[in-house]
Amino acid sequence: MNPWPFVIAAYAVTIGGTAAAFIWAWLAMRAAEKAAAGLRRER
Amino acid sequence: MHGFANPTRFLAIARPVTPWLAAAGVLLAGYGLYAGLFLSPPDYLQGETVRILYVHVPAAWLGMGGWTGIAVASLAQIVWRHPLAGVAARAVAVPGALFTALCLLTGSLWGRPAWGTWWQWDGRMTSMLVLLFLYFGYIALANAGDERSGVSRATAIFGLVGAVNIPIINRSVVWWNSLHQPASITLGGSKIDAAILYPLVFSALGFTLIFAAIVLMRMRALLARAKVEARLRRMAAA
Amino acid sequence: MKAKHQRLVLVLLVVAAMIGAALLAMSALRDQAAYFYSPADIARLGGVPPGQAMRLGGMVADKSIVHEADGVTIRFTVTDGGATVLVRYKGIVPDLFKENSGVVADGRFGTDGVFVADTILAKHDERYMPPQLAGAEHKTETLAR
Repeated sequence: MNPWPFVIAAYAVTIGGTAAAFIWAWLAMRAAEKAAAGLRRER
Repeated sequence: MHGFANPTRFLAIARPVTPWLAAAGVLLAGYGLYAGLFLSPPDYLQGETVRILYVHVPAAWLGMGGWTGIAVASLAQIVWRHPLAGVAARAVAVPGALFTALCLLTGSLWGRPAWGTWWQWDGRMTSMLVLLFLYFGYIALANAGDERSGVSRATAIFGLVGAVNIPIINRSVVWWNSLHQPASITLGGSKIDAAILYPLVFSALGFTLIFAAIVLMRMRALLARAKVEARLRRMAAA
Repeated sequence: MKAKHQRLVLVLLVVAAMIGAALLAMSALRDQAAYFYSPADIARLGGVPPGQAMRLGGMVADKSIVHEADGVTIRFTVTDGGATVLVRYKGIVPDLFKENSGVVADGRFGTDGVFVADTILAKHDERYMPPQLAGAEHKTETLAR
């Protein structure tokens, strides 16, 4: 059995999943911290 | 430990640390995966399939390490009422669930060429699937509460009780006959040859730092959202 | 006693009770939760009635794989060091199915005492090493013999 499709698929899901979680966490943080900083300026 | 109890003090450290953790994690994991794909030798028995090790083992470690973190934070919340413990536990849950799912997926992709099956209900695989469902339950409970940034006491108790599954996963290959082989790396040493082992050190360390960066970012988001919500509530009351 | 210490003691008691309960449950499940039975387990049970579906696991005995005349049927011996079971299987085996390596077979015993397998899975051990090193290890073993 050719192992490479399995190896490549395993690397792809891991890298893809980690990158997605990282970007999602970063975007959520940026939006939330921007909103919090906006409050301070309004005051 | 209570030195970080003050969110302002925590943020003063978390803000500058986050990008460094992320950069170091990406570099280490990147090198580990590159070495695992191109530099390390194939295995005498499994051939090239063994390269799945370099993504499967860090995913398993972080899936189980994540819940161990939730359990420790839950203990700190219940016993010492540490104000950031609930925030930390809640921030760990989603990446913990992700890496548990990645462990199951990469394990399935490894099982097909090595064992000849995508999935079997053996002790190791079943207990790891149970961990994923525990994460789903924890995330649902944490999101159902009306806590601003942390989690309710009930959720923390669930985090503590669920930790019983961690030693079960660890011992599953010893207690029961299983298809999954016993641990290669134990306190007694490693059954992995150095030439195959070294990329794993880099990828495991790298993914751990990336995990930590994700947790810090999620904690910062939770704290910022709580601040906005508190302000809106005060404005509504005024 | 401060409230903090009371909570700590309470939580530790609960955790200890939980671990105890889990350990009890797991030891009770020991036989039921086994993924396969080894030849020694079968001997301990006093044999398994023919035709009953079960899963057998162990090592493929050295030099025991025999190809039958039809070209697709193989016979081999599963051992766990002590007891042995003769297995017959018709079909394609996984790449890692080898002598002196682990195997897990689904099937049933025939009236002749031979285990007829429907599926064969390969079980490998926890050692990983480059081929050259495994070759060297093999060589020293052969020299020692």
